[in-house]
Amino acid sequence: MLRPARDRARLLCGLGAGALLLWSLAGSGVLGGPVLNPAGVGQLTRFAAGALHPDLSGELLGVLARATLVTVAYAVLGAGLAVALGALGAVAAARTTWGRRRAGWVAVRGALAVPRGLHEAVWGLLLVGVLGLDPWVGVLAIGVPYGAVTARVFADLLDEAPHGGYEALRAAGAGAGVAVLYGLVPEASGGMLSYAFYRLECAVRSAVVLGLIGAGGLGQELALSFTSLRWEQVWSAVYALAALCLLADVAGRAVRRRVAAPPPRATGRRDPVLTGAVLATAALALWSAWFLALRPATLVDGRTLDQLGTLLRAAWPPAGDGPLLSEIAVRAVETVQMSVLAIAVAVAGSLVLAGVAARAPRGTGAVRWAAGAAVRAGLLLLRAVPAPVWALVFVFVLLPGPLPGALALGVHTLGVLGRLSAEAVEELDPRPVAALTALGAAPLGRWLYGVLPGVARPATAFALYRWEVALRDTVLVGLLGAGGLGVLLSARLAAFDWPAVATVLAATVLLTLAVDLVGARVRAVLR
Amino acid sequence: MPRPRAARSGGPEHARTAIGRPAPRRPGPGPGRPTFGRRGFLTGSALAMAAALAGCGDRRSPVGPAPSGALSVGAIPDQDPEVLARLYGTVADAMSAALDLEVVYRPVTDYAAAVSLFRTGDLDLVWFGGLTGVQARLQTPGAVPVAQRDVDAAFHSVFVVDAATGLAPADDLRALAPLRFTYGSETSTSGRLMPAWFLRRAGVDPQGFPGGPGFSGSHDATLALVGSGSYQAGVLNEQVWAARTADGSVAPSVVEYARTPAYHDYHWLLGPAAVDRLGADLPDRVRSWLLGLPPGDEVLELFGAGSFLPTDASAYDQIEAIGRELGLIT
Amino acid sequence: MRYGPSTALDGVDLTVRAGERVAVVGASGAGKSTLLAVANGTVAASSGSVRVLGADPAALRGRELRRLRARVGTVHQHLQLVGPLRVVHNVNAGRLGSWSGPRAAWSLLHPQGVAEVAEALDRVGLAGRLHERTDRLSGGQQQRVALARLLVQRPELVLADEPASALDPALADTALTLLAGLAGERGGALLACLHDPALALRHCDRVVGLVGGRVVLDAPAGTLTVAGLESFFGVHR
Repeated sequence: MLRPARDRARLLCGLGAGALLLWSLAGSGVLGGPVLNPAGVGQLTRFAAGALHPDLSGELLGVLARATLVTVAYAVLGAGLAVALGALGAVAAARTTWGRRRAGWVAVRGALAVPRGLHEAVWGLLLVGVLGLDPWVGVLAIGVPYGAVTARVFADLLDEAPHGGYEALRAAGAGAGVAVLYGLVPEASGGMLSYAFYRLECAVRSAVVLGLIGAGGLGQELALSFTSLRWEQVWSAVYALAALCLLADVAGRAVRRRVAAPPPRATGRRDPVLTGAVLATAALALWSAWFLALRPATLVDGRTLDQLGTLLRAAWPPAGDGPLLSEIAVRAVETVQMSVLAIAVAVAGSLVLAGVAARAPRGTGAVRWAAGAAVRAGLLLLRAVPAPVWALVFVFVLLPGPLPGALALGVHTLGVLGRLSAEAVEELDPRPVAALTALGAAPLGRWLYGVLPGVARPATAFALYRWEVALRDTVLVGLLGAGGLGVLLSARLAAFDWPAVATVLAATVLLTLAVDLVGARVRAVLR
Repeated sequence: MPRPRAARSGGPEHARTAIGRPAPRRPGPGPGRPTFGRRGFLTGSALAMAAALAGCGDRRSPVGPAPSGALSVGAIPDQDPEVLARLYGTVADAMSAALDLEVVYRPVTDYAAAVSLFRTGDLDLVWFGGLTGVQARLQTPGAVPVAQRDVDAAFHSVFVVDAATGLAPADDLRALAPLRFTYGSETSTSGRLMPAWFLRRAGVDPQGFPGGPGFSGSHDATLALVGSGSYQAGVLNEQVWAARTADGSVAPSVVEYARTPAYHDYHWLLGPAAVDRLGADLPDRVRSWLLGLPPGDEVLELFGAGSFLPTDASAYDQIEAIGRELGLIT
Repeated sequence: MRYGPSTALDGVDLTVRAGERVAVVGASGAGKSTLLAVANGTVAASSGSVRVLGADPAALRGRELRRLRARVGTVHQHLQLVGPLRVVHNVNAGRLGSWSGPRAAWSLLHPQGVAEVAEALDRVGLAGRLHERTDRLSGGQQQRVALARLLVQRPELVLADEPASALDPALADTALTLLAGLAGERGGALLACLHDPALALRHCDRVVGLVGGRVVLDAPAGTLTVAGLESFFGVHR
């Protein structure tokens, strides 16, 4: 047998995942008693009926159009800031830069975990406290956490790029920074560009979440209608959002495909499509800065520094009393359980749907095409409806507890994961499946033996990555009995108890870091 | 030749996991290697940065604060946003005409954000609930309560239950203890603070409901959740209860169980920054306009009030004490 | 037979009888692979008629079509195995045409018919490799897994597209002997595209030559020589 140790590690991961899932299920109460609330079907129907009759009055559409512009501007500037921060941070976070000085590398990676560990909405709430009503709130709330993620990814890209040129430059006496710039950045630029556009897609969704805390844009309009449960209006906003997500997905995907498989060119040094996309994005960023009237001076003016000082003084020293710490421990367990259930739901769903959601090759029947389009549209709506809305909708038909919260996160994550898995299916070599067709396999057999084995690996990798995201998203869905650290954070924020907020945030960061480390370990085993 | 597969070893974790399509490895820099418009990208970013750094003239941000010559008005988001928009559109117009000031209404979606924005001076005159008003006043030295409605001096919350619980209206709140129970927003005075206080006084742990209490986020959501049966009981603002009962939008399964005793609730709070900017007589001007509104005035109608009355900080001492006791003011 | 604007097969009139072992030779792009695809019913002819084991695959749908396909076994030039699957599942995939959906699913968790799979692997010289991941095997080993898949499929008509391209000469002979034997077991035929004239002459009793999608040669193997075939088709070892 080849690599038995590896197989054992994989088996252990599998068993661990199973145990984790069982433990989470037990925590959710599914195993012990009724969870359904059939009486709530009426409310669910009202929500669903809104989907068929969105409010299309001219006044609302005008408001939504303007809000859409704000959301676009936030997303573009936030992603742009993230890429800029990521590029700067990448050199500091690359293993290559540190060489054998591991301590420095670990310190930088640890520092990057702090901005990454806090949800964009939490960043938004903190920034509102410092900057007040200012467009920087939205831009920074997206740009800072995304910047940390991007720095990490860019650093990985640099580390994994071929090092020949870099080492030659170093040998010739170039400094580390210059050598990275000349020797590694060109090698990694394709991957970086791909990732930058992927971040832009994600930023659209994050910009919406920011609206929920009042930073403006589509999310804010959605939140306003959601507060009074005007589902027709909520759906109008959701459709606007879905359209925006679709646009970002399609454009981002086109760019990423182009990067991955550049068309053969005779002489051209530059791909006109990619150059166009980059310039268009840059132009959009310019427009966004103008539209939001972003003023850099605001970041360092007296009032901002004053408020920042007030906040920091209020939060220092962080609370460390026993009751708080023990509540944090209990809530952290709930958070992990909720995120595990959410990911399980999303993975199961995306494995089932990926095959249908993948764009069918040319020449397949109309039924298959229609099914694919319907599933893709469904996934788009799943991710366009923000998690807090799903949470309320699930509490209509399920009894309050961790389950509705986990399902809310699960279906929202399914929207994202399903699409990524469908893309992985599209990437699959079609020939093994064709061979199975040729020997008479039925559709189920083809899916089980041809599609599933190829997608399971990338889907698991996506899932581990999204686990961290789901963990942070639990902040959004905890208030209806689901629990988790989000409940605690929300309660302490509502009371303006800054020392306790600081402690809860630190716990959140540590938890995110732990999940990240576990995820990285499992990914390494699965590779 | 087999095609390159996604998710082979090599390629960074996130690039692979998040992008799903790793960039093909090239053996090394060759003469014909495409550069993916890197220069264009750098130039574009630099331009965007430059534009941002240069500032954007005197354009007003669609999400930014009101101009310094204007009075910005806001409200906690506990009411129907449509009503709020109409309410404050009307209020802003009327106030602007009466005070000869530019008045801008800023919708807010989060209770805590309303308090923070009041502290930073982005909101000058805010229609706060009892608790949020106290929080805002404590964080913003110099803030003054300007006025309250006639109904706010004796406000009530309504405990509602799902008819399936079989509970008949009564004064004994202890019957609620074994039920799945939801409050409204966490720092809502009528949807959380005062009900929790009266529950505690009746010997019910306000956090001790089975599975912990829910926080629906708004009075309407509380009604919907009790109406769906997910929560067996809840509590909300008596005004919203009256309005929803009158327009028939409450599910028939939701019935009133009890009413709290009276307490002070909503009030207008004026920030110190506005006084600095717009003149020391601003509190008096605002107050006299509000108090002088004739009965039947449109503004009063929208607020569901017979009149506005003067108020002062001491009216909310009870709320402050209760807030401290329940850990909502620290 | 047309693929878009270009014609892959043109006026091919070929009948393979039960028990025959036919080698198809020709340069790359001569239409060999297309001929096999038409024969196993995965590509429909744009004109003319095709009968496979007495049925027209283009006229069949759903279950009927799958039943016909299960009787035709194909070894592909590019293996077309599922890399991340274990060897046992890739071999068992040969039975997907006859297995029910639940049985196929259960087999992924608890492999079915392991004895038969082990025997097939033994016959192709991969004994004991049952539980390895297929994409960890070498190209030659993978080609033998594909042969083992065919062994458990037990088809009546065996179509082979360069079944020996990744094997060393000794193994190539073994592989073709296996394929010929397999076709013989059920009284069926073997239709093999071969790059190597010597292999064709050793294992087949009829050679069909394709140039530009047309049949230019159809003769018993005994009447041909390796040198003659090489010079005729410009193929080189």
